[in-house]
Amino acid sequence: NVNEIRSGFTAIKANIQARDPIRTVSILSHPHSLHKIKSSDKCCIIHQLFNFYMDRVFKHCTTEDSYINRKISSIANSFLSIKRKLVQCHNQNDCKCGQESMEKFKQILTNYEGLNVTSAAIKSLGELDILLDWMEKSR
Amino acid sequence: ILDEDALLPAPQNISIISTNMKHFLTWSPVTIQGETVRYSVEFQGEYEREYANESWIPICECSLITATVCNITEDISATVPYNLRVRADVGARRSEWGTLKGFFNRITTYLTPPLMKIVADGYHLLVELEDMGPAFQFCILYWKKGQESRMQQKMVKEISSTLHLDTMEAGTDYCVKAQTYVEAINRSSNFSQMQCVRAQGDRS
Repeated sequence: NVNEIRSGFTAIKANIQARDPIRTVSILSHPHSLHKIKSSDKCCIIHQLFNFYMDRVFKHCTTEDSYINRKISSIANSFLSIKRKLVQCHNQNDCKCGQESMEKFKQILTNYEGLNVTSAAIKSLGELDILLDWMEKSR
Repeated sequence: ILDEDALLPAPQNISIISTNMKHFLTWSPVTIQGETVRYSVEFQGEYEREYANESWIPICECSLITATVCNITEDISATVPYNLRVRADVGARRSEWGTLKGFFNRITTYLTPPLMKIVADGYHLLVELEDMGPAFQFCILYWKKGQESRMQQKMVKEISSTLHLDTMEAGTDYCVKAQTYVEAINRSSNFSQMQCVRAQGDRS
């Protein structure tokens, strides 16, 4: 599924990032990179980030371009498919979020809420490869 | 056959044909005397149902088409249940949506055994497999004829033209069979028919 998400994202990455005029702000990487998150917290943070994308990002990314919308649907449905598995993993493994990691996730929400919804959603979608790279590195 | 003023009926007998992760939506034609009927297809994934107000997404390659089949492979790209629907248009007249009975999940796709060709190139046992797309991996089993208990296995993630399986003993028969594996749905096909070849030279 992650490969499918990545190929879906690669197909629309340039288009989505071109819609994001704000170059000086990052949602996922400011002020600290995801790679700073402790490995023991990764299960929980991935779970939180998937919920973030499902609840607050994809639905605000509808465009006038049918092809883009279809690819976003593909990505969102793949996210949902993985989210289903994460919930099982989350329940079985008691993924606890450490204090430090929760601060990091709250910072992501703060970054998101610092922009208007559409800009924040488009920027978050444009940064999907940051999340995918971090997830794949964690595998 | 319907006359011009009757209500345009929705397409019927809507079904999916899905083989080897290629998915096609088909339906019965709506027939109107002397008119060209066109059809449009939309899909709805689980995400749209649960997070996006049950919205539907049009498939532009299947908007106002005259064919009664639509390739939905590109859009069925997650292992979740999908809804699909079709409607008919004749001029300014438009039918209600005809909706696929039940969901479609790609996990139910029919997986056929791979086409396979084995070659004895001197003492080298080679196999050629059809390229079935990026979603497919292959599990290849090979053994000396009569020694099924000492079967060897090779997993192939990416297809290259020809794959070297083993270096054979002179004059010995080797057999091979293969199955596909699709990681995205965690399913395998049945095994292909066994094929056997003999290495060159005489048995020692």
